[in-house]
Amino acid sequence: MGDTLLSVTNVTKSFTDVVALSDVSLEFHSGEVVGLVGGNGAGKTTLLRLLCGLYQPTSGNVQGRVNEEPVDIHNMREHVGVVPEATGLYARLTAWENIRYHSRLNGIDDDLAWTRTERFAKLLNFDQDLHRSTRGFSRGMRQKTALLRALSHGPDILLLDEPTGGLDVTSARMVRKLVRKLGDEGGTVIYSTHNLAEAEQVCDRIVIIHNGTVRADGTPSELLKSAGCDNLEESYVTMTDDVARTQTPDEEGTIARAWRRLLTRRGDANE
Amino acid sequence: MSKVRLRFSRVLIVAKKELVDFVRDWRTVLAMILVPLMIFPAIFIALPLFLQGEAAELSVYELTVEVQGELPENLSAHFDGRNMIIIQSELVVDGTLSEPGTDYNRLNSDDTEVRIHAILRLQEIESNASESWNYAILSDSTNELSYEAKTRTLEAVLAWEDDVINATLVEYNLTRDEVFDPIHWDGDQADADVASGGELAAMNLAMFIPLVVAMWTTTAAIQPSIDLTAGERERGTMEALLCTPTARSDLLFGKWLAVATVASVSVLGQMAGLLFAINFLIRGGIDVPSVSLGGILLLLLSVILFAIFVVAIELAVAVRAHSVREAGSILGPMVLVFIGPTLFAQFVNLQGIEAWWFILPVFNITLAMREALMGIYDPVHIIMWVSTSLIYAIGAIWWASKQFNREDLVESLS
Repeated sequence: MGDTLLSVTNVTKSFTDVVALSDVSLEFHSGEVVGLVGGNGAGKTTLLRLLCGLYQPTSGNVQGRVNEEPVDIHNMREHVGVVPEATGLYARLTAWENIRYHSRLNGIDDDLAWTRTERFAKLLNFDQDLHRSTRGFSRGMRQKTALLRALSHGPDILLLDEPTGGLDVTSARMVRKLVRKLGDEGGTVIYSTHNLAEAEQVCDRIVIIHNGTVRADGTPSELLKSAGCDNLEESYVTMTDDVARTQTPDEEGTIARAWRRLLTRRGDANE
Repeated sequence: MSKVRLRFSRVLIVAKKELVDFVRDWRTVLAMILVPLMIFPAIFIALPLFLQGEAAELSVYELTVEVQGELPENLSAHFDGRNMIIIQSELVVDGTLSEPGTDYNRLNSDDTEVRIHAILRLQEIESNASESWNYAILSDSTNELSYEAKTRTLEAVLAWEDDVINATLVEYNLTRDEVFDPIHWDGDQADADVASGGELAAMNLAMFIPLVVAMWTTTAAIQPSIDLTAGERERGTMEALLCTPTARSDLLFGKWLAVATVASVSVLGQMAGLLFAINFLIRGGIDVPSVSLGGILLLLLSVILFAIFVVAIELAVAVRAHSVREAGSILGPMVLVFIGPTLFAQFVNLQGIEAWWFILPVFNITLAMREALMGIYDPVHIIMWVSTSLIYAIGAIWWASKQFNREDLVESLS
């Protein structure tokens, strides 16, 4: 196991009435590909946003380490590449211009960024599309562009939020192959997914998150052992057999609530 | 690279990218550059030329007017050269001359043998004047040719009336001036005004410029402000951007710089259009507005401070919205918050104005622009509006920066 790059200690994250993460403690080490597996609303995206400093924990601590020295998570940004679920590309720019914009903000020289981009683009079979406008790109092409953008400044850690969501079989396979290759070359990848089979295929370690808590953390074989099952799907179901969080009344919306109250009152009056 | 230089370079990278993004959108170029550039030339040059052309087009038509009753020779002479065909007929009316009676259908219908565009009814009456007449012109004001016929007939009748008045005055050995203008201005009224033509032109400009600046800065900044904040949230580009090492305040400054540049180019374009239109009109006899260099510098300073203030506020409000639609529904009506005080301040008397006007937001900038254009340089006023505008601008940027640090900036309704 390599050095610790990110540590999450007793982190709880709440949004008004909703507790998105509750008392989560995890460590991420260099050279490992970690899969964050969980259903919708489990807290995977919240955890990724805490890891890249977009969210502040309500309690607990998220800390990075550079050269074995603890650093504030915001000062880790140069060492982190992020692919959000929405990919976030500018439609009036070409793929390369999107990538270059971020690499410049990361303080990387254009030539160096281009060399890195070209290398990974060839692996993704995307090098011919770099100078095309991203308007009209398929989901797969957008995902590839976002991946190249995240890699262009040579980050130590790559955070991927559902990178294969909505991709066709070939594109998803390419992304998985690239992630595995990065892991094999000593890179650190934290990868959120719904897909347990994909996590098993790509990741060295799997963290199962359910209802904002960590239900399991270990290699696929360790998970099987702790759940006492012979396949991961069975293990996952065993570990997450409680009902998933439902929508709180607060999420209904102020106007909708007002209408409901009004209609209920009118109904009462009619009765 | 030093930390300050690195931050500055990131601000420029963000601003440059946003400007490239704007320029590549033809709708933005059209709305922000071409429309403001063309709007005043269109109003002051193209519209009058168009109206002149339309009027000339109507003058080509030969129009038929029926004169009911006796047609005096003096009046007949005034119809000459007006491209009119005069038909005479007997006057048969019940009631006043203005009541159309059976002529209603003749003017409203195309079925008549000869299309009559207007009817002039004349009836001589007894009076002490050389001659006296009652008249009425029947026409259809919704029909362009009928309306044109009425205009031409009326012109002829009024010219004839002048002749009748003059003839009556001659009978009594009087001149027109003796009767209608016994107390009269000697010479040219314009000569008596000690203000130069340039100063008068500058005063007229002072009624325009503050309104143009307020309206266009406010409206021009709305679309880019929304696009760069709520738009980014909606499209999901904000999250990726916030993951870069760029400080949020630097992102805000970069975006602010881009929006302020677009809004300024837009306002300058509109002013250039206005000056072009004025220059065109000058050839028609209007003087060049005389504004000193100091006045121009103060005007520019006030525009810049106003732009800083407005753009920061609009960015801050747009950041709070989760979607483009939400931002638009808030910022659209908000324009009135800026335009209302500007309109109000146009009517505030600058003579003996109370100093507190120069600390009120928006009012202070409008009044400052008016003073600069009219050559009024009161040091107390200048210190007050510059310092308060700076405070408002810094306050607006601080508020925008606070909004940009909101945690929910990565989330959108979509």
